[in-house]
Amino acid sequence: MRLPRLFRTTPFRLTLLFLALFAAAASAFLAYIYLATAGEATRRTDRNITREMRSLVAAYDRAGIDAVNQSLIERASSERPFLYLLMKPDGTRISGSIAETPIEGGASAAPARASFSVTDYDAQGRMVKHPARGFQERLSGGEVLFVGADISEDQAYVVKIVRALWGAGALVILLGLAGGLLVSRNVSRSMGALNDVVTAVRNGEFGARAAVRGARDEFDELSEGINEMLDRLERSMAGHRHAGDAIAHDLRSPLTRLRARLETAYLDVEAGKGDAKEALGQALEDTDGVLKTFSAVLAIARLQAAGRAPDQTVFDPAELAGDLAELYEPTCEDKGLEFGSELTRDLQVRGNREFLAQALANILDNAVKYTPVGGAIMLRVRRRSSGEIEFSVTDTGPGVPDEDRARVVERFVRLENSRSEPGSGLGLSLVAAVAEAHDGRLELSEGPGKVGDMGPGLRVALILPRA
Amino acid sequence: MRILIVEDDLEAAGVMDRGLTEAGHECVRAADGEEGLSAAHAGDFDVMIVDRMMPRMDGVSMVQTLRREGDGTPVLFLSALGEINDRVEGLKAGGDDYLVKPYAFAELIARVEALSRRRETGSVQTLLRVGELEMDLIGRTVHRQGKEIDLQPREFQLLEFMMRHAGQSVTRTMLLEKVWEYHFDPQTNVIDVHVSRLRSKIDKGFDRPMLQTVRGAGYRLDP
Repeated sequence: MRLPRLFRTTPFRLTLLFLALFAAAASAFLAYIYLATAGEATRRTDRNITREMRSLVAAYDRAGIDAVNQSLIERASSERPFLYLLMKPDGTRISGSIAETPIEGGASAAPARASFSVTDYDAQGRMVKHPARGFQERLSGGEVLFVGADISEDQAYVVKIVRALWGAGALVILLGLAGGLLVSRNVSRSMGALNDVVTAVRNGEFGARAAVRGARDEFDELSEGINEMLDRLERSMAGHRHAGDAIAHDLRSPLTRLRARLETAYLDVEAGKGDAKEALGQALEDTDGVLKTFSAVLAIARLQAAGRAPDQTVFDPAELAGDLAELYEPTCEDKGLEFGSELTRDLQVRGNREFLAQALANILDNAVKYTPVGGAIMLRVRRRSSGEIEFSVTDTGPGVPDEDRARVVERFVRLENSRSEPGSGLGLSLVAAVAEAHDGRLELSEGPGKVGDMGPGLRVALILPRA
Repeated sequence: MRILIVEDDLEAAGVMDRGLTEAGHECVRAADGEEGLSAAHAGDFDVMIVDRMMPRMDGVSMVQTLRREGDGTPVLFLSALGEINDRVEGLKAGGDDYLVKPYAFAELIARVEALSRRRETGSVQTLLRVGELEMDLIGRTVHRQGKEIDLQPREFQLLEFMMRHAGQSVTRTMLLEKVWEYHFDPQTNVIDVHVSRLRSKIDKGFDRPMLQTVRGAGYRLDP
């Protein structure tokens, strides 16, 4: 038979396990209490009987059988809870509150002790049997004395204690079971909600998110973790999808151009006119362009999908910028651009050197490409007052209008005035992806302003968190 | 030069084979890592070109096995995986160079030829000599026809690399990788400018230019 869902949950099973352990412990405890209370009652009765016996024996030794006989008669009629029987050596009753000894073997069995029951009548005249205990001793003159006591009150007390204990145990087990069911139900509900999210995601609903109840417990932590994971997954998938769309969209025109060129060349060669060499050379160049674009898109997508740049180390940003300055300075000079650098030494930045170098190279490439002859490029590394490390490149080129600054960072966006320059429109996208993969950001702002007939220039800053 | 091509894409291997044979090299082909391993055991090769991802045994395992056996033949890894981590993994496995697919054939030939030279430079050299050009690696001086040429540190490194691969084509990418240790593709002509500055220092005022531009590939230093 299949158990209801709730009874199959782990918390419920744990509850049962704990209840079983508790019941075992409670049973042992009850057994101990029972033995301790019931045993103590018997021992106390025995002590009282012994004391009564000693007192009567002492009276006998002091004043003889008549004194004991007298004392027995007095005691039997008093409120004392004892039963007495004084017998001749042959067992014949002399006096006492009972007719004959309950000890097996009669007077000849003295000394002896026994548990027995006495018959009594209650207020309604019904016959009741009470548990009792008694001792029998032979007096020095040969007579036999029996002293017993009704222990029904003691036993009733023990029974009461045991009943109370059982009741308490049952109550605890019931409460435990109810509590367990309640906890199981709550846990099941929370787990069920998480399971629903997992199922939804498995079925392709990537927007599904786990509810965070604000209890700040481990379920909230788990939900937050799952949600963060799903956010990242969704972003990464969107990145891949976007990359796919972008590749399909932007590679279509160069690939169409390439195909047309090859087709024309083929037809020309077939018709025996024209030189295929030039067309092939051009086609090769086109192919290289397509491949470069493809690699750049892949690099961006992989970086975005990973969410974090791999192999990060701590290094001096001025050293990295210095190397790039050394790489780009001759090109600037060749193009008639003034190149300068201001690199604050002994700072520390954490990141992937290779990716950051590529990002800086892309920014410098852009600056070199768009700054007209006679212009200037400045590379800077400094620490901001916030502690962040800033790499910046300032140029005196045409700049990027305020309204376009957010857009140029997107993939394949190329502004009208840059269409004549070679490039894929991916340079700044990669810089932005590198910045993001380092928990940093990319900021575009106006450059140094109008310089002669140039300007207003552009300032591109790659800002990384403090190491 | 005897070259072992280990590549499961038969068409790509065919193109490589034809191109390298036309360039005057002798090629042997293997279609996967296991075949490549037995071919490597059977023949003495100057260079191996190994694809990373192949059926049965991949390129990395094949090269690891060869390196464990003490085979030091230079290996050029070919791979569609071009991330820094992939390169590092390939180079750690015992590869000597790494070329990302798709590649220009000129780049492949330049790298293969550059690799073949590595074997001959087992001993520590302190003096490089290519034709009239002499480089003292300890004194950090360069002379051509006995006349000292003053070079900046990076120009010195650039010339050292060119001299170590004299007579071979070296591409811009190779220079950026080996001299600057960057693995990206600049959009501007940064490398060309550095090479042209070096050229003006070592060739200007002499009757014959040594640093040649190889069309479609890169540069070559002729003795």
